[in-house]
Amino acid sequence: MTTSTEPLYSLHERVWHWIQAVALVLLVLTGFAIHFPDRFGIFGSMVHALAWHSVIGFALIANAFLGLFYHFTAEKYHHFLPKMDDFTEGAVRQARFYLYGIFKGEPHPFETNSRHKLNPLQRVTYLSLLNILLPYQILTGLLMWGVTRWPSTFQKVGGLTVLGPAHSLGSYLFLAFLIGHIYLATTGKTPFSLLRAMITGFEESGHRKE
Amino acid sequence: MIFGKRPLQARMGKITRLCKSWLLLALFFSSFSIMAEAQGKQPSLRLAHPSIFLKDEDGKNVLSTNKAISTRQTCGACHDYAFITDSFHFQQGKNEMNPGLMKGHGFAGFNTSPGMFGKFSILPNRQLTPVGVANPGDVDLTQPEWLTKCGVCHTGGGISEFDLHGHRLLTADAKPHGPLDPSYTIRDRITGKVVPWDWQKSGITEADCFICHAPKASRGDRREVVAAGNFRWANNATLAKSDIVVKDTKGNFTYNRKAFNADGTVKSEILNLSDPPLENCAQCHGFSARNASTIQPIQHADILRGTEKAGWIYNGSKISETVSPRIVGKEKMDYPWDVHAAKGLGCIDCHFSPNNPGRKFQGDSEKHLSYKPVGEGIAEYLKRPDHNFARGNIPPETVNITRHNTMRGCAECHDAEKTHAFLPYKTQHFKALACQTCHISEVHFWAYRSDEWGFLMDTGASRITFRGIRGDIVDPDSEIIGFKPAYVSTPAKDGHLEIRPTNLITGLYWFDKTKGRPVFTWQIQKAFFLDRQVGGGWEYRPEIVKAFGDKDGIIDFPQARYDTPEKIALVKRLLLEHVGIADPELRIEVVPWAMSHSTMGKAQAIKDCKACHAKNSILRRPMELNDFLPKGVPVYYAGKQVNVVDQSGKEPTFDNRSLLRSFYIIGNSRVLWVEILGWLSVAGALLFSFIHGFIRILGAKKS
Repeated sequence: MTTSTEPLYSLHERVWHWIQAVALVLLVLTGFAIHFPDRFGIFGSMVHALAWHSVIGFALIANAFLGLFYHFTAEKYHHFLPKMDDFTEGAVRQARFYLYGIFKGEPHPFETNSRHKLNPLQRVTYLSLLNILLPYQILTGLLMWGVTRWPSTFQKVGGLTVLGPAHSLGSYLFLAFLIGHIYLATTGKTPFSLLRAMITGFEESGHRKE
Repeated sequence: MIFGKRPLQARMGKITRLCKSWLLLALFFSSFSIMAEAQGKQPSLRLAHPSIFLKDEDGKNVLSTNKAISTRQTCGACHDYAFITDSFHFQQGKNEMNPGLMKGHGFAGFNTSPGMFGKFSILPNRQLTPVGVANPGDVDLTQPEWLTKCGVCHTGGGISEFDLHGHRLLTADAKPHGPLDPSYTIRDRITGKVVPWDWQKSGITEADCFICHAPKASRGDRREVVAAGNFRWANNATLAKSDIVVKDTKGNFTYNRKAFNADGTVKSEILNLSDPPLENCAQCHGFSARNASTIQPIQHADILRGTEKAGWIYNGSKISETVSPRIVGKEKMDYPWDVHAAKGLGCIDCHFSPNNPGRKFQGDSEKHLSYKPVGEGIAEYLKRPDHNFARGNIPPETVNITRHNTMRGCAECHDAEKTHAFLPYKTQHFKALACQTCHISEVHFWAYRSDEWGFLMDTGASRITFRGIRGDIVDPDSEIIGFKPAYVSTPAKDGHLEIRPTNLITGLYWFDKTKGRPVFTWQIQKAFFLDRQVGGGWEYRPEIVKAFGDKDGIIDFPQARYDTPEKIALVKRLLLEHVGIADPELRIEVVPWAMSHSTMGKAQAIKDCKACHAKNSILRRPMELNDFLPKGVPVYYAGKQVNVVDQSGKEPTFDNRSLLRSFYIIGNSRVLWVEILGWLSVAGALLFSFIHGFIRILGAKKS
């Protein structure tokens, strides 16, 4: 196997990704400690879990904005935009690969490089995640955190009876995404090639040996 | 004439001025007494009322007439008697008999007032008879009977002086409106017939100022004469232990001249009138003491109301120092029964007269003033002290319904922000929870658990059960294990709902659907028992014994229950046959009795988040109810049909899910579809990963 000379993921992207990843995992864990305090007491008291959840949540928000800033200023946002002219065809090809071709050792339908990092399914997934689920989760979380600061807004959206379950649902969806994301990260050319790429910036070249 | 040579009016004017001066001084001294108490010391100065004449109904000194004391004449000489008695201690709803008011507050139509004089309660299962009934079958509790039963605590004046038409009894205007006028009749306990009440013989009871303001007031003596229908002498009886009044062997009252000064006034140090000490309030409201090691909430055959209903003990001494009764685990309870009592607070410190210049709210919310330097003076207060005392909002006490939440809330004395550093989201917690929720997390005494008038025992009365005790409440060997409250939501001062602790009393009663009111106790008695003979006991009808009794023909406690639809049908048939009630319905009512006393300090208060924010949250605690409750009958809660009884387990328990629906308790509340959808998505992701990965591995091996 060889390694390409141009990094697939820049340092900024990798740092952004891992901060986001760690924050998401910790948010899920502290969220569990809040949602199931009697069964998931790894942070000691619920007060600690709540405090950590808030701090990490703000770290994630800051990181999300930095990421947004970076992707716009470095003009890298286009990685996440599906190409509408051949999106359907590309999505079907990628889905076929995940559901059939991967088992037969077929090559990945889309080559990844620094200009084309994501396949059509990844693009639509991350676009939804970063533009719908993440803002939704940030908004519901912020409103709950800010109940004492913006009580009228909090009440207008239905109070805790609406925000609590809404934030919980978002958390479950994030957890489901994390599981799928981690698993699909093993579907690179080798089980750890994508992970290595996200650490070193470089993905091993050549096709997966099946 | 014992007043001397000067005209009575002039003398009374001087007395009034003297009264005011003395009371001004007294109020000044009383502030010292409060300060001293607050520091845990015995008060060195005490409010001293000036010497007064005890007058009879004609305004003459009782020493010369030997007649009953008239407080209207005696106290009313300086204080505005009519103003004072137009308040809930004296009226208990009589001055709130307004259909519009009742409807506006959602009372069922069979209630005539929001107070105990007019509102149906499952506990005595009695209903005040409204004015205008034409059929003897519609007569239950009449005004005279109400007074014999409740008049000991409901302190004269109001109900005891005026009929339901507003006329002062024993005056020319006071006449019965028909043969069934509830102000002038009573149902004879033996014959069951409605008979006239002789007000001339019973007399009326004017406001009993002494029972609250005289430290040696005797509720027991008062109870005796009131229960006997001897209303005229009720206020004298209150003074039976004061050395002013002497009760002879025939039960008549005379006056002890040694208690009077030479000028005919009663010695102030003997009558000793003062602001009501908590011991006086305790005579009716619940066991209260500054420092008692013996807790005896049963006085004169009555259980003190607050203790009976909610188990509260307002006592400054430590639970561990209790000598009697037996409190299980008291060794570890090295803290007072009530933290406020231990700090020396008396009842009137919180439940003050709203226009007392020393205690009232000094602001004027209408003018946005937080402090109003001018206002009603002390002289006006002493003349017209408002006896609609500051109060909270304690379900199910609805009397004085337009003046709830008039007392200072906890936050108006305590700066909770400073003392709850451990608590996140303080504003939310303080809004969602009454302070009592964490500070009355456990009751270390017994209280009512159930009172069933739907099945009568062989005493002709209901079966009462208690929680928090192993054994009988009158048995000194019984072990008191206490209980943990159930939680309900009630409106706070600003109207929002907050969670607060309660004791739950479950009643079983019959409802007459045709008449739209509860079935009266006498009607249930007629259905259950054979006609009662004079001096005789209660004898069940043979059908009742056959259906409910065992082989020995006796209905023991375990058998006195509606465990089959046939038993319910039998009593329905008997109600139809013997009382003519065509459509009776057996109902369960769960009544919450809010807790605001027996308050614990910070060391005992709940501080563990998981107490509430967990699957087994105390806020959802399934308090056990009456294990005799039948299944399949409608359940009422706070007067409305709400199913708060969970009969799915071994014993019926309280289910407050519908009551706390508006509260989302993080860590406890779950929205089912969110949880299902959430876990399905997680499980789906895991399943996909495992299956997909497994097939990949298989594919890799093949190739």
